[in-house]
Parts: sequence; structure tokens; C-alpha cells
Amino acid sequence: MRKFLIGFMALLTHIGLAQAQSLDDVVVVLDSGDARITLINQATRQTIGSFATGKEPHHLMATPNSQDLIVANAVSNGLLLLNPKTGQPIGSVPNIPDPYQIGFSPDHRWFVVNCLRLNRVDIYRYDQGKFQLTRRIPLIALPSHMAFTADSKTVYISLQETNSVAAIDLLTQTVLWTMKVGETPAGLWLTPGDKTLLVALTGSDAVVAVDPRTRTILKRIVTGKAAHNFRSMADGRHVLVSNRVSNSISILDMDTLTKVGDITGLRPGPDDMELSADRRWLWVTFRFARSVGVIDMTTRQLVDVIPVGKSPHGIYLSDRAPFYDNLPPLSKLAQRVAAAH
Amino acid sequence: MINPLDWISHVTSLLVGELQTWIFVTQVQPVLYHFHLMVDDDFAYDGVLWFLAGLLQIAVVYAVLRPLEALRPLEIWPNRRAVRVDVLYTFINRLGLINLVLFFTLQPLFDSLQEWLRLRGIDNINLDMLWPGVTDRPLVAFLIYFIVLDFAGYWYHRAQHQIQWWWELHAVHHSQRQLSLWADDRNHLLDNVLMAAFFAALALLIGVPPTQFVALSLVSGALQSLQHANTRLSFGWLGERLLVSPRFHRLHHAIGYGHELGHQNNARLYGCNFGVLLPWWDVLFRSADFTTPLQPTGVRAQLPAPDGLGEDYGDGFWAQQWLALRRMARRIAQRTTARTTDSPRKPPSGGQTA
Repeated sequence: MRKFLIGFMALLTHIGLAQAQSLDDVVVVLDSGDARITLINQATRQTIGSFATGKEPHHLMATPNSQDLIVANAVSNGLLLLNPKTGQPIGSVPNIPDPYQIGFSPDHRWFVVNCLRLNRVDIYRYDQGKFQLTRRIPLIALPSHMAFTADSKTVYISLQETNSVAAIDLLTQTVLWTMKVGETPAGLWLTPGDKTLLVALTGSDAVVAVDPRTRTILKRIVTGKAAHNFRSMADGRHVLVSNRVSNSISILDMDTLTKVGDITGLRPGPDDMELSADRRWLWVTFRFARSVGVIDMTTRQLVDVIPVGKSPHGIYLSDRAPFYDNLPPLSKLAQRVAAAH
Repeated sequence: MINPLDWISHVTSLLVGELQTWIFVTQVQPVLYHFHLMVDDDFAYDGVLWFLAGLLQIAVVYAVLRPLEALRPLEIWPNRRAVRVDVLYTFINRLGLINLVLFFTLQPLFDSLQEWLRLRGIDNINLDMLWPGVTDRPLVAFLIYFIVLDFAGYWYHRAQHQIQWWWELHAVHHSQRQLSLWADDRNHLLDNVLMAAFFAALALLIGVPPTQFVALSLVSGALQSLQHANTRLSFGWLGERLLVSPRFHRLHHAIGYGHELGHQNNARLYGCNFGVLLPWWDVLFRSADFTTPLQPTGVRAQLPAPDGLGEDYGDGFWAQQWLALRRMARRIAQRTTARTTDSPRKPPSGGQTA
């Protein structure tokens, strides 16, 4: 009887948790081609609804205090703020020109915006929800992705059209250097300790490993055609890279700089990825298939495809595993920054 | 209960989406990857949608209008040979070739212009955000952009008739004497690029969302095909005043009446019904004519003497393109000569001045 009661209580708790998750935890998907946001229940994988945002929403990220989720509407020149738990709009920040890719420096002082269309990087001072422009840095051409060093001194920017990566010193807000890396560089990733900068080559079938100190290419790791973006597996060792033409996701070992696996059989154009907090479910936007997929990481199989709008790009899980490998989780980072201040 | 229109829209969207993905993945993306053009893959994906939307539009327009032309023709022709070249124009224009040219030639210029404007604090207007909650509703936004773009279209069209070198390009469109459902796209390629650039820049300035731009182009294209169709179709008294009808537009194409505005010896002849989709602007700016009986269509200069000059506007695609450029060059040269002749001369030395 006691066993039965414990089992019954456990079942109730499980149902309760599932219900709590179904009520609270949303997946936010940016349908960049439709200028809309689709909300999906993370637990049930059912679409909850969709609503209009600005034009060409491509990327999104949480504010340092995790209170707001920022959606960057590139062609509308503004940011939409959402409640990260419910996905509902709670505010907006106008007059942020061409916010294609966005990022906060780990010390939370700087908000960096890659203006892909306008060929420049804008740096804003960030202070308690306020954005104040401090520098516009022209960068030819097509600045797309970014990666910050853990000490917040440097941000690396990929320049898709000129096949190069630029390093910007955040203290002086000047370009330190640029270097050629290969065809159409997109996603950038810093391995733990900022040891190696990984660059996904969308115009090729590889990721190149760069030593940013010596500015030399250490290795070329063949992944799949049109390597595009990264996402940590949150185990301190592996990182995922999406391959937009091969329709696969490769798993890279950041210690050995080798490919250790592939997730294949995906729908066309895998792009941005998100990992659930329990590391079990990998969500991925299929840019050219108007859908997002859910991959079971234990079997590495695509188990669910959820229709969304046109050109889904950015994706965010409220219940997510840590995103970066070279930075502590946002919550710890926020505590550290608060203590420093 | 499911609304049949919603169902059709949903199924069409699904089918087009699947087709777009299939064509892009199997035909376009491998070519982009092979030729190192992956930097443009997003644009190419959108381009496939333009292509499919154009194809669908041509199919629907043909399915609806061709039977009407056959059953209720306005003019009886011995054959449709003169129409064939217009079919080619339609496929070139509506399947996205002009957009492709525009992208590779003018897009960098557009981006630089936007950057220049933004650095000077000049923002996009984003008309759909004027009254959040109302103007950003898809149908309301669509109507706003439809009206604003059509207003711009009215003045753009008047300029095509008013500016003499430009008229020579636009005359390619008016030189068709057998107007049919295919005639709308018979335009000089340079004129097409100018028009596409103008409307793309305007759309960007007023913030037309990409999906709305596709929808606006589709609706506009279909209505303009209808306007040119060779069919007896009345919109009624009120309908004629709400939307440009085939009758209203055919009068604009009438030889020596509908479209000759200030391009012959700078004299204002006639010129009426310049509205693209809405006749409201013609009513407002006093260029509307709802009453004159229909007349043959074409350009006066095409007519043999003594009514015209017997000028050849070409039968084939390349002839029409080349002859228009030649006429345009002639106009510019005439204007330059006229300016030189008209410029005040210095009085001879020792002469008197008034």
C-alpha cells in the first residue's frame, strides 16, 4: 500500500510538473520570412499561437537578467521584448538599425549588433535595460555572427562576403585585425578557455579551427556541406554544427578538434539549434522547410517535425541547457557581474 | 466549420511551400553551392517563391481570362500572331528575371543608400506601425500599402508619358495593337528595371513586409492582365469608378487619344486614365474619361501617313527592344540640339544689347 501511495504521489508530481511545463515553457521561433513569431509548447510540442513582430526577425537572446527575451527585427530597425517564459510581448526598443545578429558581452557592459545589410557593427553601452550607441564600426562585408571572449575584451565577427573574420577590441572599440578563413564564414564558436575559435564555412563543407592569438588556421574539420551555426551540447566537450546543404548536424569534439558523429535525415536547411535543460531534446529550425524539428539526443533521431512559418531562423527554449562553452551559464554570469558591481 | 476560402488558402500555401522547398533543395541550392554563391542562398530561396507565385499567377490568369477572350472578344483578329511576343514578355517579367537583374545590379546601391539615410537619422516609415493594433492587421496593412503604392504608380505612369525619352521606352507597351491578357508585361527591359527599382525602393521606404510585397505584386499583376484582356466585360457605373476596368484602361491605349501627353512637339494632346489599379487618382487629378467610346489601340506614329509617320516599332522581342533604345537616343539628341539652338547667343563684339 505504501509503495502504491509513493508511486501515486510520484505520478501526481510528474503530471503536475508536466502541466507546469506545458503551461509555462514555450519555444519561441522566429519566422523571418513571415515577420511573425510562432510559440510552441515545449512539453507537448503543440503550436500555441503566432503573432506579428517586426520585419525579418532573425535572432533572439535573453537579457542579462533573463527577465526579457530580445527579438531582433532586422528590417524594422528595432527590438521586441518578450516574456521568456510565456513568449508574450512586453515591450520594444525602437531605433536600433538593422539588428541582424545581437549579443551581450559577458560583463554585460556592451550590446553588440551586427548590421548585415548595412555592413557595419554597432556597439551600444548597456545599462539596466537602456541601450546607448557608442560606436559604429564599418565592416565590409555582410557581418553576420559573433563570439565574445570570456574576459569581454574581444568580439569576433564573421564577414560572409569577404570570407574573413574580424576581431574588435571592446575597450577601444576598434578593429584589431581581420583574417581570411574560407568560403562564406557564418557561425563562430569559442572553445573552453577561449583556446580555439571555430568558424563554420557555409560556402564549404567544413569548420576551420583558428588560433586567435597567432591568427593561424590550425585545422580544417570536414562536417557537411554548408556548415552554418553552432550550439553547445553543454557537456564541456562537444559542440553541434548545422550543415544547411547536407541537411545534417555534426558533433565536434572541442578537445581533439575532430568530428565524432552526425545526425542525418533532417529536413532542408537546419540552422539555429536549442537544447533542452535535460540535454535530451535538440530543437532545430529548418530554414527551407517551414518547420522546426525535435531530435532525441539519446538516439540521434529526428522524432518530431512541427510546421511553422516561412524561413524559421532563431529559436529559444525557456527551459534550456547552457548555451556557450567558453562562458558560464547566464544566471551565474549575472551573479558574478552583480558582485563585481 | 472550416471556411472554404481559408482551406484553399491553407492548402495552396502548403503546396507552394513544399514545391518551393523541393525546387530550391534539388535544383537551386546545389548550383549555388557548386558555384560558390552560398552567400545568396536566402535570396535564392525567396526567388524560388517569386518564380512559383509567378507561374501560379500566369496559370490562374490564363485559365480565367483566355476563355473570356474566346467567348466574348472585343476585337476580332484574323490570328493571334502579334500576341505571341507578349507571352515571352510575361514569362520574363513574372517569373522573376527582372528581380534577379535588380538584385545583382542595384541591391548594393540600395543598401548603401539605406546606410547613408540611416546615418543621417532618416528612418523607414513603416506605415503598418502607425497605429499598432489596427494598421498592423494583415488586411488593413495590405490595403494601406495597396493604396499608397497605387498612388505612386499613377504619378510614375504619368511621368512615363510626360518625359519624352522615357515615353519612347514606354511606347513598347503601347505599340501593341492587339491588346490581350498577355499585353501588360510588354515593356522595355530598361523600363522594367527602372520600375522594379522605383517600387522596391518605395516599398522599402514605407516598410512593406516581404510577404505583403509578394501578395501586392500578385494582385496587381492579375488585375493588370484583366485590364488588357480582349474581352467585353463591364464593371458597371460604380465598379468602373472603384477599380480600373478593361474598358477604362483600353481607352488609355487608344491611338492618338488616351496616352499622348506632351510628347509631340511638346504640345499637350490628350492623355487620360493613367491609374494603375484605382481610377480614383484620375478622378482627383482630372485625367479620368469614363465616357468616350472605345477606339483602336496603338501609337499614332505607327500609323501610315498621313495619319502617322509609319514608324516601325518592331515585331520581335529584340527588334522592339533595340528600336526603343534608338528612339530614346534620338529624343535625347533632339533635346540637346534644341537646347543648343535655343541658348542665348553672345552679341557680336561692338554690337548693341537691349
